[in-house]
Amino acid sequence: MATPKELSDFLATVERRAFKQTAYAVRDDHAALDIVQDAMMKLAEKYGDRPPTEFPMLFQRILQNTMRDFWRRQKVRNMWTSLLSSFGGNDADSEDRDPLETIDVGDDSDEPSIQLARNQTIQLIEHALEKLPARQREAFVLRYWEEMDVAETAEIMGCSDGSVKTHCSRAVHALALELKKQGLDKLGLSNAIFDRK
Amino acid sequence: MNMHKDNMTNQNDINLIDDDMISDPVMEAQIAQSITDFLNNRVQHLKPEQEQRLSAARNAAVDYLAEQQAQYSTANRIAGHGNVLHWFGQHVGNNIEQHRFASTALLLVVMLVTFFAVQQFGFNNNLENSDAFLLASDLPPEAYADKGFDAWIESN
Repeated sequence: MATPKELSDFLATVERRAFKQTAYAVRDDHAALDIVQDAMMKLAEKYGDRPPTEFPMLFQRILQNTMRDFWRRQKVRNMWTSLLSSFGGNDADSEDRDPLETIDVGDDSDEPSIQLARNQTIQLIEHALEKLPARQREAFVLRYWEEMDVAETAEIMGCSDGSVKTHCSRAVHALALELKKQGLDKLGLSNAIFDRK
Repeated sequence: MNMHKDNMTNQNDINLIDDDMISDPVMEAQIAQSITDFLNNRVQHLKPEQEQRLSAARNAAVDYLAEQQAQYSTANRIAGHGNVLHWFGQHVGNNIEQHRFASTALLLVVMLVTFFAVQQFGFNNNLENSDAFLLASDLPPEAYADKGFDAWIESN
Protein backbone atom coordinates (compact mmCIF):
# COMPACT_ATOMS: atom_id res chain seq x y z
CA MET A 1 0.00 0.00 0.00
CA ALA A 2 1.30 3.44 -0.92
CA THR A 3 1.86 6.05 1.74
CA PRO A 4 0.50 9.58 1.30
CA LYS A 5 4.06 10.79 0.78
CA GLU A 6 4.62 8.29 -2.03
CA LEU A 7 1.41 9.41 -3.67
CA SER A 8 2.40 13.04 -3.25
CA ASP A 9 5.84 12.44 -4.75
CA PHE A 10 4.37 10.57 -7.68
CA LEU A 11 1.78 13.25 -8.41
CA ALA A 12 4.39 15.98 -8.11
CA THR A 13 6.47 14.30 -10.81
CA VAL A 14 3.63 13.79 -13.28
CA GLU A 15 1.20 16.63 -12.66
CA ARG A 16 2.78 19.17 -15.01
CA ARG A 17 3.09 16.78 -17.91
CA ALA A 18 -0.40 15.50 -17.21
CA PHE A 19 -1.74 19.03 -17.34
CA LYS A 20 -0.03 19.93 -20.59
CA GLN A 21 -0.89 16.59 -22.14
CA THR A 22 -4.55 17.17 -21.25
CA ALA A 23 -4.42 20.76 -22.42
CA TYR A 24 -3.16 19.63 -25.84
CA ALA A 25 -6.06 17.20 -26.04
CA VAL A 26 -8.90 19.42 -24.83
CA ARG A 27 -7.44 22.80 -25.86
CA ASP A 28 -8.75 24.45 -22.72
CA ASP A 29 -6.45 25.07 -19.76
CA HIS A 30 -9.26 25.34 -17.20
CA ALA A 31 -10.87 22.11 -18.37
CA ALA A 32 -7.44 20.46 -18.39
CA LEU A 33 -6.87 21.47 -14.77
CA ASP A 34 -10.29 20.09 -13.81
CA ILE A 35 -9.55 16.81 -15.57
CA VAL A 36 -6.16 16.41 -13.92
CA GLN A 37 -7.71 17.20 -10.53
CA ASP A 38 -10.41 14.55 -11.11
CA ALA A 39 -7.81 12.02 -12.17
CA MET A 40 -5.69 12.67 -9.07
CA MET A 41 -8.69 12.26 -6.79
CA LYS A 42 -9.82 9.06 -8.53
CA LEU A 43 -6.33 7.62 -8.16
CA ALA A 44 -6.38 8.33 -4.42
CA GLU A 45 -9.96 7.09 -3.97
CA LYS A 46 -9.85 3.89 -5.95
CA TYR A 47 -6.23 2.86 -6.13
CA GLY A 48 -4.67 4.33 -3.00
CA ASP A 49 -4.14 0.81 -1.69
CA ARG A 50 -1.99 -0.18 -4.68
CA PRO A 51 1.81 -0.12 -4.60
CA PRO A 52 3.40 3.07 -5.97
CA THR A 53 4.97 1.17 -8.86
CA GLU A 54 1.52 0.74 -10.36
CA PHE A 55 0.68 4.44 -10.15
CA PRO A 56 2.04 5.56 -13.55
CA MET A 57 -0.07 3.08 -15.52
CA LEU A 58 -3.16 3.58 -13.38
CA PHE A 59 -2.92 7.35 -13.45
CA GLN A 60 -2.50 7.47 -17.21
CA ARG A 61 -5.45 5.16 -17.70
CA ILE A 62 -7.61 7.27 -15.38
CA LEU A 63 -6.46 10.44 -17.12
CA GLN A 64 -7.30 9.08 -20.56
CA ASN A 65 -10.72 7.90 -19.38
CA THR A 66 -11.45 11.23 -17.72
CA MET A 67 -10.53 12.98 -20.96
CA ARG A 68 -12.92 10.71 -22.86
CA ASP A 69 -15.67 11.53 -20.35
CA PHE A 70 -14.95 15.21 -20.95
CA TRP A 71 -15.27 14.73 -24.70
CA ARG A 72 -18.57 12.91 -24.29
CA ARG A 73 -19.97 15.67 -22.08
CA GLN A 74 -18.63 18.28 -24.46
CA LYS A 75 -20.29 16.56 -27.38
CA VAL A 76 -23.67 16.56 -25.66
CA ARG A 77 -23.22 20.18 -24.56
CA ASN A 78 -22.25 21.25 -28.08
CA MET A 79 -25.30 19.53 -29.47
CA TRP A 80 -27.58 21.45 -27.11
CA THR A 81 -25.68 24.69 -27.66
CA SER A 82 -25.97 24.39 -31.43
CA LEU A 83 -29.65 23.57 -31.09
CA LEU A 84 -30.29 26.55 -28.82
CA SER A 85 -28.11 28.93 -30.86
CA SER A 86 -30.10 28.08 -33.94
CA PHE A 87 -33.02 29.80 -32.22
CA GLY A 88 -31.01 32.80 -31.02
CA GLY A 89 -28.50 35.33 -32.35
CA ASN A 90 -24.72 35.28 -32.36
CA ASP A 91 -22.99 35.16 -29.02
CA ALA A 92 -19.81 37.10 -28.43
CA ASP A 93 -18.42 34.28 -26.26
CA SER A 94 -18.59 31.83 -29.10
CA GLU A 95 -15.87 33.58 -31.04
CA ASP A 96 -12.65 31.73 -31.61
CA ARG A 97 -10.04 31.88 -28.91
CA ASP A 98 -7.24 34.30 -29.51
CA PRO A 99 -3.98 32.31 -29.45
CA LEU A 100 -2.09 35.42 -28.31
CA GLU A 101 -3.92 35.22 -24.99
CA THR A 102 -2.32 31.89 -24.18
CA ILE A 103 1.24 32.77 -25.09
CA ASP A 104 3.40 32.46 -22.05
CA VAL A 105 6.40 34.73 -22.18
CA GLY A 106 7.39 34.29 -18.57
CA ASP A 107 10.72 32.55 -19.25
CA ASP A 108 13.44 34.63 -17.71
CA SER A 109 16.35 32.26 -18.13
CA ASP A 110 18.01 33.43 -21.34
CA GLU A 111 18.39 36.37 -23.61
CA PRO A 112 15.20 37.75 -25.12
CA SER A 113 16.04 36.55 -28.64
CA ILE A 114 16.68 33.00 -27.43
CA GLN A 115 13.56 33.08 -25.28
CA LEU A 116 11.54 34.22 -28.25
CA ALA A 117 12.96 31.53 -30.51
CA ARG A 118 12.34 28.85 -27.89
CA ASN A 119 8.81 30.04 -27.20
CA GLN A 120 8.08 30.05 -30.90
CA THR A 121 9.44 26.54 -31.25
CA ILE A 122 7.43 25.29 -28.32
CA GLN A 123 4.28 26.92 -29.61
CA LEU A 124 4.80 25.40 -33.02
CA ILE A 125 5.28 22.00 -31.44
CA GLU A 126 2.21 22.47 -29.26
CA HIS A 127 0.08 23.50 -32.22
CA ALA A 128 1.39 20.57 -34.22
CA LEU A 129 0.54 18.26 -31.32
CA GLU A 130 -2.95 19.72 -31.03
CA LYS A 131 -3.51 19.13 -34.72
CA LEU A 132 -2.67 15.44 -34.46
CA PRO A 133 -5.54 12.94 -34.45
CA ALA A 134 -6.44 12.03 -30.88
CA ARG A 135 -5.16 8.45 -31.00
CA GLN A 136 -1.86 9.47 -32.54
CA ARG A 137 -1.38 12.19 -29.95
CA GLU A 138 -2.25 9.77 -27.16
CA ALA A 139 0.22 7.20 -28.46
CA PHE A 140 2.97 9.78 -28.92
CA VAL A 141 2.52 11.28 -25.48
CA LEU A 142 2.38 7.96 -23.66
CA ARG A 143 5.16 6.29 -25.59
CA TYR A 144 7.64 9.12 -25.92
CA TRP A 145 6.76 11.75 -23.34
CA GLU A 146 5.69 9.46 -20.52
CA GLU A 147 8.37 7.00 -21.67
CA MET A 148 6.14 3.96 -21.40
CA ASP A 149 6.96 0.84 -23.36
CA VAL A 150 4.83 -0.35 -26.24
CA ALA A 151 2.98 -2.95 -24.17
CA GLU A 152 2.05 -0.45 -21.43
CA THR A 153 0.92 2.09 -23.99
CA ALA A 154 -1.17 -0.55 -25.73
CA GLU A 155 -2.80 -1.55 -22.46
CA ILE A 156 -3.74 2.02 -21.59
CA MET A 157 -5.02 2.73 -25.09
CA GLY A 158 -6.85 -0.58 -25.28
CA CYS A 159 -5.28 -1.63 -28.57
CA SER A 160 -2.58 -3.95 -29.89
CA ASP A 161 1.17 -3.35 -29.79
CA GLY A 162 1.18 -3.05 -33.56
CA SER A 163 -1.43 -0.30 -33.45
CA VAL A 164 0.67 1.63 -30.95
CA LYS A 165 3.72 1.42 -33.20
CA THR A 166 1.66 2.55 -36.16
CA HIS A 167 0.12 5.47 -34.25
CA CYS A 168 3.52 6.53 -32.92
CA SER A 169 5.16 6.34 -36.31
CA ARG A 170 2.40 8.33 -37.95
CA ALA A 171 2.45 10.88 -35.14
CA VAL A 172 6.20 11.47 -35.43
CA HIS A 173 5.91 11.58 -39.18
CA ALA A 174 3.11 14.14 -39.03
CA LEU A 175 4.86 16.24 -36.39
CA ALA A 176 8.13 16.29 -38.31
CA LEU A 177 6.46 17.25 -41.54
CA GLU A 178 4.34 19.90 -39.85
CA LEU A 179 7.37 21.42 -38.16
CA LYS A 180 9.31 21.27 -41.38
CA LYS A 181 6.46 23.04 -43.12
CA GLN A 182 6.45 25.71 -40.42
CA GLY A 183 10.10 26.47 -40.92
CA LEU A 184 12.04 24.05 -38.83
CA ASP A 185 15.40 25.60 -39.75
CA LYS A 186 14.45 28.93 -38.16
CA LEU A 187 13.60 27.35 -34.85
CA GLY A 188 16.62 25.25 -34.10
CA LEU A 189 14.74 21.97 -33.93
CA SER A 190 16.56 20.53 -36.87
CA ASN A 191 19.88 21.16 -35.17
CA ALA A 192 18.54 19.59 -32.02
CA ILE A 193 17.63 16.53 -34.01
CA PHE A 194 20.74 16.25 -36.07
CA ASP A 195 23.10 17.00 -33.22
CA ARG A 196 22.01 13.65 -31.80
CA LYS A 197 23.24 11.74 -34.80
CA MET B 1 29.63 34.13 -45.18
CA ASN B 2 29.04 32.18 -41.98
CA MET B 3 25.36 33.11 -42.00
CA HIS B 4 25.11 31.87 -45.55
CA LYS B 5 26.79 28.62 -44.51
CA ASP B 6 24.40 28.19 -41.57
CA ASN B 7 21.44 28.72 -43.81
CA MET B 8 22.77 26.18 -46.24
CA THR B 9 23.28 23.68 -43.42
CA ASN B 10 19.77 24.21 -42.07
CA GLN B 11 18.35 23.88 -45.52
CA ASN B 12 20.19 20.60 -45.86
CA ASP B 13 18.83 19.51 -42.50
CA ILE B 14 15.29 20.10 -43.69
CA ASN B 15 15.94 18.25 -46.85
CA LEU B 16 17.34 15.39 -44.82
CA ILE B 17 14.00 14.85 -43.13
CA ASP B 18 12.22 12.83 -45.72
CA ASP B 19 9.79 9.96 -45.51
CA ASP B 20 12.49 7.29 -45.55
CA MET B 21 14.33 8.90 -42.69
CA ILE B 22 11.24 9.18 -40.50
CA SER B 23 10.44 5.57 -41.27
CA ASP B 24 13.71 4.61 -39.63
CA PRO B 25 12.89 3.66 -36.02
CA VAL B 26 16.10 5.18 -34.68
CA MET B 27 15.45 8.46 -36.45
CA GLU B 28 11.84 8.38 -35.35
CA ALA B 29 12.95 7.99 -31.72
CA GLN B 30 15.42 10.85 -32.11
CA ILE B 31 12.83 13.20 -33.56
CA ALA B 32 10.40 12.21 -30.80
CA GLN B 33 13.10 12.77 -28.19
CA SER B 34 13.84 16.25 -29.56
CA ILE B 35 10.18 17.16 -29.47
CA THR B 36 9.69 15.84 -25.94
CA ASP B 37 12.78 17.78 -24.80
CA PHE B 38 11.02 20.96 -25.87
CA LEU B 39 7.82 19.82 -24.20
CA ASN B 40 9.66 19.04 -20.97
CA ASN B 41 11.17 22.48 -21.07
CA ARG B 42 7.70 23.88 -21.54
CA VAL B 43 6.24 22.20 -18.47
CA GLN B 44 8.84 23.84 -16.28
CA HIS B 45 7.28 27.21 -17.02
CA LEU B 46 3.63 26.96 -16.12
CA LYS B 47 1.67 29.97 -15.01
CA PRO B 48 1.64 30.54 -11.23
CA GLU B 49 -2.13 30.01 -11.01
CA GLN B 50 -1.77 26.72 -12.84
CA GLU B 51 0.98 25.66 -10.47
CA GLN B 52 -1.20 26.56 -7.50
CA ARG B 53 -4.18 24.70 -8.87
CA LEU B 54 -2.13 21.56 -9.51
CA SER B 55 -0.60 21.77 -6.06
CA ALA B 56 -4.04 22.15 -4.46
CA ALA B 57 -5.37 19.17 -6.43
CA ARG B 58 -2.40 17.07 -5.36
CA ASN B 59 -2.82 18.05 -1.72
CA ALA B 60 -6.54 17.21 -1.84
CA ALA B 61 -5.79 13.75 -3.23
CA VAL B 62 -3.03 13.12 -0.69
CA ASP B 63 -5.22 14.33 2.20
CA TYR B 64 -7.98 12.02 1.05
CA LEU B 65 -5.61 9.04 1.01
CA ALA B 66 -4.23 9.95 4.45
CA GLU B 67 -7.77 10.18 5.83
CA GLN B 68 -8.73 6.83 4.30
CA GLN B 69 -5.66 5.18 5.72
CA ALA B 70 -6.31 6.68 9.15
CA GLN B 71 -9.85 5.29 9.12
CA TYR B 72 -8.57 1.91 7.97
CA SER B 73 -5.96 1.92 10.71
CA THR B 74 -8.56 2.80 13.37
CA ALA B 75 -10.84 0.01 12.18
CA ASN B 76 -7.94 -2.45 12.32
CA ARG B 77 -7.04 -1.32 15.84
CA ILE B 78 -10.59 -1.93 17.03
CA ALA B 79 -10.60 -5.33 15.38
CA GLY B 80 -7.22 -6.07 16.98
CA HIS B 81 -8.56 -5.21 20.47
CA GLY B 82 -11.52 -7.46 19.80
CA ASN B 83 -9.16 -10.31 19.14
CA VAL B 84 -7.20 -9.61 22.31
CA LEU B 85 -10.41 -9.55 24.37
CA HIS B 86 -11.47 -12.75 22.75
CA TRP B 87 -8.10 -14.25 23.58
CA PHE B 88 -8.44 -13.22 27.22
CA GLY B 89 -12.08 -14.14 27.41
CA GLN B 90 -11.88 -17.32 25.40
CA HIS B 91 -14.06 -19.26 27.80
CA VAL B 92 -16.74 -16.60 27.70
CA GLY B 93 -16.50 -16.53 23.97
CA ASN B 94 -16.68 -20.29 23.73
CA ASN B 95 -19.65 -20.38 26.05
CA ILE B 96 -21.38 -17.82 23.90
CA GLU B 97 -20.66 -19.90 20.84
CA GLN B 98 -21.86 -23.06 22.56
CA HIS B 99 -24.94 -21.31 23.82
CA ARG B 100 -25.75 -20.19 20.33
CA PHE B 101 -25.38 -23.72 18.98
CA ALA B 102 -27.39 -25.19 21.82
CA SER B 103 -30.21 -22.67 21.34
CA THR B 104 -30.47 -23.54 17.68
CA ALA B 105 -30.49 -27.27 18.40
CA LEU B 106 -33.10 -26.84 21.14
CA LEU B 107 -35.36 -24.83 18.84
CA LEU B 108 -35.04 -27.52 16.20
CA VAL B 109 -35.92 -30.27 18.68
CA VAL B 110 -38.95 -28.33 19.94
CA MET B 111 -40.18 -27.87 16.40
CA LEU B 112 -39.76 -31.56 15.60
CA VAL B 113 -41.51 -32.66 18.82
CA THR B 114 -44.37 -30.26 18.14
CA PHE B 115 -44.73 -31.59 14.62
CA PHE B 116 -44.81 -35.21 15.68
CA ALA B 117 -47.18 -34.42 18.59
CA VAL B 118 -49.62 -32.71 16.25
CA GLN B 119 -49.37 -35.60 13.82
CA GLN B 120 -49.90 -38.12 16.60
CA PHE B 121 -52.84 -36.23 18.10
CA GLY B 122 -54.50 -35.95 14.71
CA PHE B 123 -54.04 -39.69 14.03
CA ASN B 124 -55.51 -40.68 17.42
CA ASN B 125 -58.41 -38.30 16.96
CA ASN B 126 -59.24 -39.80 13.54
CA LEU B 127 -59.02 -43.29 14.97
CA GLU B 128 -61.43 -42.43 17.78
CA ASN B 129 -63.88 -40.86 15.33
CA SER B 130 -63.88 -43.89 13.05
CA ASP B 131 -64.35 -46.25 16.04
CA ALA B 132 -67.30 -44.19 17.27
CA PHE B 133 -68.84 -44.20 13.78
CA LEU B 134 -68.58 -47.95 13.44
CA LEU B 135 -69.98 -48.62 16.87
CA ALA B 136 -72.87 -46.18 16.41
CA SER B 137 -73.91 -47.38 12.94
CA ASP B 138 -76.71 -49.84 12.21
CA LEU B 139 -74.45 -52.26 10.46
CA PRO B 140 -72.19 -54.52 12.46
CA PRO B 141 -68.48 -53.84 11.89
CA GLU B 142 -68.03 -57.34 10.42
CA ALA B 143 -70.24 -56.32 7.48
CA TYR B 144 -67.54 -53.90 6.26
CA ALA B 145 -64.99 -56.71 6.20
CA ASP B 146 -67.27 -59.03 4.19
CA LYS B 147 -66.43 -58.91 0.48
CA GLY B 148 -69.89 -60.11 -0.52
CA PHE B 149 -71.51 -57.25 1.36
CA ASP B 150 -70.48 -54.60 -1.24
CA ALA B 151 -71.84 -56.78 -4.04
CA TRP B 152 -75.09 -57.25 -2.13
CA ILE B 153 -75.46 -53.45 -1.65
CA GLU B 154 -74.86 -52.78 -5.37
CA SER B 155 -77.39 -55.50 -6.42
CA ASN B 156 -80.01 -53.99 -4.14
